Amino acid sequence: MNRQSTPFTRFWNEFRENRIAVLALSIVVLLALLALFASFVSPQNPYDLANLSLMDSRRPPGFVGTGGYTHWLGTDPQGRDLLSAIFYGLRISIQIGLAAGFVSLSIGAALGILAAYIGGRVENLIMRLVDLQLSFPAILLALVIVALLGQGKVQLISALVAAQYAYFARTAYGAAKAERGKDYIEAAVATPLGSRLVILKHLLPNCTPPLIVVATVQIANSISLEATLSFLGLGLPVTEPSLGMLISNGFPYMMSGRYWISVYPGVALIILIVAINIVGDQVRDQFNPRLRR
Amino acid sequence: MLGFIIQRFLQAIGVMAVMSLIVFCGVYAIGNPIDIVIPPEATQDLRDEVIRRLGLDRPLYEQYFIFLVNLLKGDLGRSFVYNIPVLELIGGRLPATLELVLISVVSASVIGVSLGIYAGYRPESWTAKTIMAASVLGFSVPSFWVGLILILTFAVNLGWLPAGGRGATIDIWGVAWSFPTLDGLSHIILPAINLALFKLAMMIRLARAGTREIMLTDTIKFARAAGLSEITILRQHLLKLISIPIITVFGLELGSTLAFAVVTETIFSWPGVGKLIIDSIAVLDRPVMVAYLILVAFLFVTINFVIDLIFALIDPRVRRGAAS
Amino acid sequence: MRKHKFLATMALVLGLTATSVASAQTLTMGVRGGPESIDPHYSALGPHAEAAKHIFDTLVWSGTDLQIEPGLATSWAPVDDDTWEFKLRKGVKFHDGSDFDAEDVKFSIERIPVVSGPTTTTIYVRRVADVEIIDSHTIHIHTDGQAATLPNDFIRLFIVSSEAAANYSTPETAAEGFNSGAAAVGTGPYKFVSWEPKGDLVLERNDDYWRGKGSWEKVVRKEIPNDSSRLAALKAGQVDVINYVSSVDYLALENDANIDAVKGDSVYIMNLQLDQRKKTPLVRAIDGSELAENPFRDLRVRQAIDYAIDRQTMVDIVLEGLGRPANQMMPPGFFGSNEGIPMPEYNPAKAKQLLADAGYANGFEVDLYCTADRLPGDGAICQGLGQMFTQVGIKTNVNAISKTVYFPAQARLEYSMFMNGWGTLTGEASYTLGGLAHSNNPDVKLGAYNRIEYKNDDVDRLLQTGARMMDADQRRATYEEAMEKVMADKAYISIVQLQTVWGAKAGSVEFTPRYDEDTLAFFIKSAN
Repeated sequence: MNRQSTPFTRFWNEFRENRIAVLALSIVVLLALLALFASFVSPQNPYDLANLSLMDSRRPPGFVGTGGYTHWLGTDPQGRDLLSAIFYGLRISIQIGLAAGFVSLSIGAALGILAAYIGGRVENLIMRLVDLQLSFPAILLALVIVALLGQGKVQLISALVAAQYAYFARTAYGAAKAERGKDYIEAAVATPLGSRLVILKHLLPNCTPPLIVVATVQIANSISLEATLSFLGLGLPVTEPSLGMLISNGFPYMMSGRYWISVYPGVALIILIVAINIVGDQVRDQFNPRLRR
Repeated sequence: MLGFIIQRFLQAIGVMAVMSLIVFCGVYAIGNPIDIVIPPEATQDLRDEVIRRLGLDRPLYEQYFIFLVNLLKGDLGRSFVYNIPVLELIGGRLPATLELVLISVVSASVIGVSLGIYAGYRPESWTAKTIMAASVLGFSVPSFWVGLILILTFAVNLGWLPAGGRGATIDIWGVAWSFPTLDGLSHIILPAINLALFKLAMMIRLARAGTREIMLTDTIKFARAAGLSEITILRQHLLKLISIPIITVFGLELGSTLAFAVVTETIFSWPGVGKLIIDSIAVLDRPVMVAYLILVAFLFVTINFVIDLIFALIDPRVRRGAAS
Repeated sequence: MRKHKFLATMALVLGLTATSVASAQTLTMGVRGGPESIDPHYSALGPHAEAAKHIFDTLVWSGTDLQIEPGLATSWAPVDDDTWEFKLRKGVKFHDGSDFDAEDVKFSIERIPVVSGPTTTTIYVRRVADVEIIDSHTIHIHTDGQAATLPNDFIRLFIVSSEAAANYSTPETAAEGFNSGAAAVGTGPYKFVSWEPKGDLVLERNDDYWRGKGSWEKVVRKEIPNDSSRLAALKAGQVDVINYVSSVDYLALENDANIDAVKGDSVYIMNLQLDQRKKTPLVRAIDGSELAENPFRDLRVRQAIDYAIDRQTMVDIVLEGLGRPANQMMPPGFFGSNEGIPMPEYNPAKAKQLLADAGYANGFEVDLYCTADRLPGDGAICQGLGQMFTQVGIKTNVNAISKTVYFPAQARLEYSMFMNGWGTLTGEASYTLGGLAHSNNPDVKLGAYNRIEYKNDDVDRLLQTGARMMDADQRRATYEEAMEKVMADKAYISIVQLQTVWGAKAGSVEFTPRYDEDTLAFFIKSAN
């Protein structure tokens, strides 16, 4: 049948066999939708101060607040509905993860392919730099950059990109280098108009599968890294909290038994990251020919 | 071989030179420590005096030059906050970080490699699947969150272990270590688990992947055909073959764990170098930041250098490839 | 306990040292901040001075309620308009057995400008022009003009030994000399044993202390900056006393039978500050357009803001009971506090009415800035203010940020509406009103912290006369009058006075909370 023979359907059919991966994927999609439509599904806009009441602050799950609705996951110290705050926090976390992921993907892939394509000194220089950076822990790099650039979304994303582009560069370089060595590429480069065509038609497509794998992992890593930075007090401002910031804000309340302020955002964060990683694992296994049955 | 060593050594020195420049400019070009170090109500005279005393009135290249000269003399400057040599400040806290990192990485490696080999050896068994599922968790769950839960469970709710800080220490060769005392051990357990979990997951995956690939190779097939027992195969061939990537990762991880300890040390108030750097970033204590980063870079360059050497010893191809 | 004893014995036998060994004679304190050096003249920060008070003494002592009392000086009096005479205590010995005399005072004062670090201790001697030794136990301090509050300046002027510190009084040598113990010789209740930056300060009792012998043979001052960790350490028995229990944990702690919680009033008051410049940067109309003028220059708008603040809710909900509503910039009972000032009323309807009267019926938008990491509850109070202002129509964007960003920007006058805590650390009004309420005028050394260009000519006049009045009663009346005028102008709006909580093992110690929040081992008595 024609439908089954496209690479995508073949890929999907194989993916479908792993029920856990399918479950993980549906969770990722659900969370993404919740984040996207946070303003519609949340009982409250947690960033609009006119909506909040201090009288509702730090209430346990199930409390019916002054707004007349139930706070299913309780409220935070500002009287924010935690469920709403988690939806909005998801949005910020996913936004930052995606933005950092795509920017590092673009920069990294460009550098890696360029290095493989041009070769020689340029290749050496770029890859030495990338390897050097890969040996340096991402968290430390991000930490220092955020400390230097200051707080804010753009600064945070820059730090995450600086900490992560090297993974993409390494991956793209590996895939492109393998392809670059083949005879047909050598032949294509020799023709006029060759180089751009080669990069677009041959090198890039060959790098795509491994890059997708790295991208899934790195998006999860960005989200986790952002949460860690927020926790260390170097993330986004407290007034528009990401999941990491929510956890961090709630942490002081742990000792006095008001666990929900920190625990529920943490659970949301973990579900998101674990689900992305499971999907990523499955995708990688499918792309790895050596593990093919 | 000597040529190879010299080549790599020169490369390492080059990298260190570049790193020192990047770190120095990075830390010094952005952010103004004066506003943070001096109270806002300070008079202009006082400001100028402090700027002069900290050497911040000189042009950047001059500051870098002075820094380099001092660096070669083994002097990394004085902390803006404590006015004592940075090396003294870092050195005093290094043992705490070292013992935490070593305990974490060693236990993570031993346990991780064993579990990983098993999971790779019997990939379809339930145990293997459970191990792998757990490793996904260990990989995914942010380390600070694990730390919080550990504290909440074992320190706050159960009250079995202390929530933070370092325990009693005893001096061995003039350095204070806490692991030989009971009190010290009880303090180190939670942070060590916290720091080890991520590495554990990583080691499991690495050992499993290595085992799976090696089990499919001809070497193993021939060995089996020759009638060697499975235990012998595991010990004689498998362990030998996967040891190279594991050693590499062990080396690299030792370094990255040292850096990652920043998070664990913050959560558990562990008085190590990572906590120091976080505090220094908060007050823009530049000399401490620069010194720490340079030391970390030095550590990584050294580790890479040593790994290169070990590789060259084990695998002659590397030697030849690099020399050509 | 047995485990600890075993370890102590083991350490002894092996000739090793154990750092955290608790016993009945040892007091282990878990404190939020520690010294930056053992040199008391290096930093003016609170935790630094607090640690120094264990080893060193000051000429003038600041008591529990910050009233000034004799310290190493037994009495003081002005000799003429620009000279103070201090009589020194006789028979006081330094830890190394040498005698304390006038030479040490002169040496200490003259040492300060040389060895002071970035957070400068020169503020303690800013009025001192010259030190004259009259005899071994009498000195004259010559000041640059009339300095009515000189004794108050001296409450953190620590006296070091002129002999022990002689070779350790340059910026290069001071830290080494003091941190190693060689120069860390004071007259205080405890002797220096060892110190690790951000770590433990270990002290042993000075049996010859002139105030008498302390309760503890040994004191360990552990620096644990994280509030939760500090409390956890107390609960686990690792420390005996902790300072700064956070408001978050206070209620739960009150119900904990194993822990005593001691609550004390703090010297810190949260003040909202409203920029009085003609043009102010961070205010705009609701639709984002520029406003014709700075609304905060209109008294009605400032009154509206005052009416919009529900101080009782701030205390009860935001601070979980750990504070008091405040109506002026100093705690009640301080020198210059005015008891006649009424507590502002919470009345959102009136606030809206006043805004409408001022021509802002639709409100306006403002960016509110404040510290989030300096004092307990500062970020939360700020967000609470945001809610309260938004509810009367002033759309408020809350920016609760790190103090390291906040204060430099505040000093550059970048904010329109901002809030931070102010502590009247000297216990009298010239420090607070002179710094905040006088128009900024370096010539008269007043108004240095006035970041809103607030200027009231009557207030300026009162503060200038007050600074020169040597008669205490007259001076008090002058400052009370100035305080009333400043608070009526509502450019500074005081919101809450903070309270501080100490935690201790139940029934183990007795002590009286101090207004300046210092935790001093000498004044902590064993309850057994």
